[in-house]
Amino acid sequence: MNSTAVSVTGLTKRYGGRTAVEDLDIELPTGVVAGFVGPNGAGKTTTMAMLLGLVGRTAGSGTVLGRSIDHPAAYLPKVGALIESPAFYPALSGAENLRMFATVAGHDTGVIPSLLETVGLEDRGDDRYRGYSLGMKQRLGIAAALLGDPDLLILDEPANGLDPQGVREMRSLIGTLAGTGRTVLVSSHDLSELEQVCDWLILIDTGRSLYQGPTQALLDDVSGGLAVVAERPEDHAALHRLLTGGGLDVDTRDGRLVVAVHGADAGRLAASVNRAAFDAGIVLVELHPQRTTLEDRYLTMVQDPGHDRTPALSGTTRGGDR
Amino acid sequence: MTRIIRAELIRLVRRRTMIVAGAGALLFSVVATLTVFSTARETGVGASRQRGTTIAALADHGGGTEAFAIGSSFVGFLVFVTFIALIANEFSGGTFRALLLRNPHRLRLIVGKLAGALVVTAAIVALAEVLTFGVSLLVAPGQDVGTTNWFSLESVGAGLRDYATVLAGVTGWAIFGTTLAVIFRSAPLALGVGFAWAGPFENIIVDSWQDGYRLFPGQVLGSLIQGGTTELGIGRALATAAVYVGIAAATALLLVTRRDVTA
Repeated sequence: MNSTAVSVTGLTKRYGGRTAVEDLDIELPTGVVAGFVGPNGAGKTTTMAMLLGLVGRTAGSGTVLGRSIDHPAAYLPKVGALIESPAFYPALSGAENLRMFATVAGHDTGVIPSLLETVGLEDRGDDRYRGYSLGMKQRLGIAAALLGDPDLLILDEPANGLDPQGVREMRSLIGTLAGTGRTVLVSSHDLSELEQVCDWLILIDTGRSLYQGPTQALLDDVSGGLAVVAERPEDHAALHRLLTGGGLDVDTRDGRLVVAVHGADAGRLAASVNRAAFDAGIVLVELHPQRTTLEDRYLTMVQDPGHDRTPALSGTTRGGDR
Repeated sequence: MTRIIRAELIRLVRRRTMIVAGAGALLFSVVATLTVFSTARETGVGASRQRGTTIAALADHGGGTEAFAIGSSFVGFLVFVTFIALIANEFSGGTFRALLLRNPHRLRLIVGKLAGALVVTAAIVALAEVLTFGVSLLVAPGQDVGTTNWFSLESVGAGLRDYATVLAGVTGWAIFGTTLAVIFRSAPLALGVGFAWAGPFENIIVDSWQDGYRLFPGQVLGSLIQGGTTELGIGRALATAAVYVGIAAATALLLVTRRDVTA
């Protein structure tokens, strides 16, 4: 088995004078659940469509499941995809639609009942597709993507348009799929939707890569500083003086003291803050890295692309490993 | 290719579709038979069927499928709009894209879909011919048309010939419809253009320009379905239709293979 499910470099798509995807590199390790994140119009769908052979490339090369992207027919039998909105025949039932798609691909139609069960449509499989809710349509789309037991799943905004309950169910479904060992690439413009299920992230904006690497690398980023809260609020001023007197850069935010890390070892810094407070007779009730959410990190990257070149990030950033 | 044809049959050969198709074929056979028998003249109308038929021709070998052959002249247009709707909806509804993800061979996919739909069309046309023969048997005595000659070997040959020409004509219309659908990828747009061309445009112009009968694709296919007309014999109709259908098919295949699939 290849160690990379998707490996493309310089992927570019131009429509006349408009560039949808520009010089995009993607290295997707086998077996990860990768979130492909970017705002609407960032180029996510176009990138996926290029990987799936639906849209021609202006430039770029690479492989999917070890096969050249010049020959999608060589790898598509092992790729399941739901791209843009789910598309089925309204007059056919969910099961009939799956049977038709399986027949076109030459896949076993005997797995259809279990696929319907996997996506929670076992009781509605014989109902006509036109009567399905949006959430059911999306789930049938995922069932169709699972035909042929693919090694790579590409899901384009599978939770788009779903209500909160539907989003939760979709997240749970993706989590279930993640446990089967296959590689999953799922796009969304909503980071919070992906944060809980993805162990790998590819962040793009206006067709360009901002970051790709483990999700944890972004979560571990302590560039937001150390949050420090004393047990007694009246001790905050003394603690502030104590820490600044020790040469630390301290700020006050939302009732907390925030000690800037500036590239130092966050653990050692926390220990020295704790020791100084203890020596001064101040009891701390909070001492932890001031973590930014993925959403905050992403927005920072979008607004200030240079910001992502922090040493705290262990993944590949734009202008980093490339 | 066979997988795609089989999949298309899964989609089209369903109870409801078959009931509608069967009812349509029955309606066609009744209307065509009653119209042809009630308008049949006592004396000659020429070799062509485009101006109707005679009582003698109905009683002759092949008379049992005469109503089918004459009535089929409008079937081509019906097939044309049906294929526009079938194929254009594949593009606008995203199912063509979804199918490509399972079978990325674009040529095979579009040709397979066309072939699958044509298999169903061929079956419906055959049913219509058989039903028309049956209704003709019921109607003939009331119109003083003898049916003895209808069961000869020659009549079987005539029936098969009628079926072949009708099928060739509707295949041409199906390919024209598919081409328009591929070009516009929108059923309303493709139907609008198709209606305008094959309806008013061709028919208004041929009224004042007789060469249009031999040159316009719709007129050529119409002549083919009728087994040839006074303006265009069957041989030339077949040859001209083949050229037009070839150009249309090449255009459709080129677009399908070259264009991005974005819908």
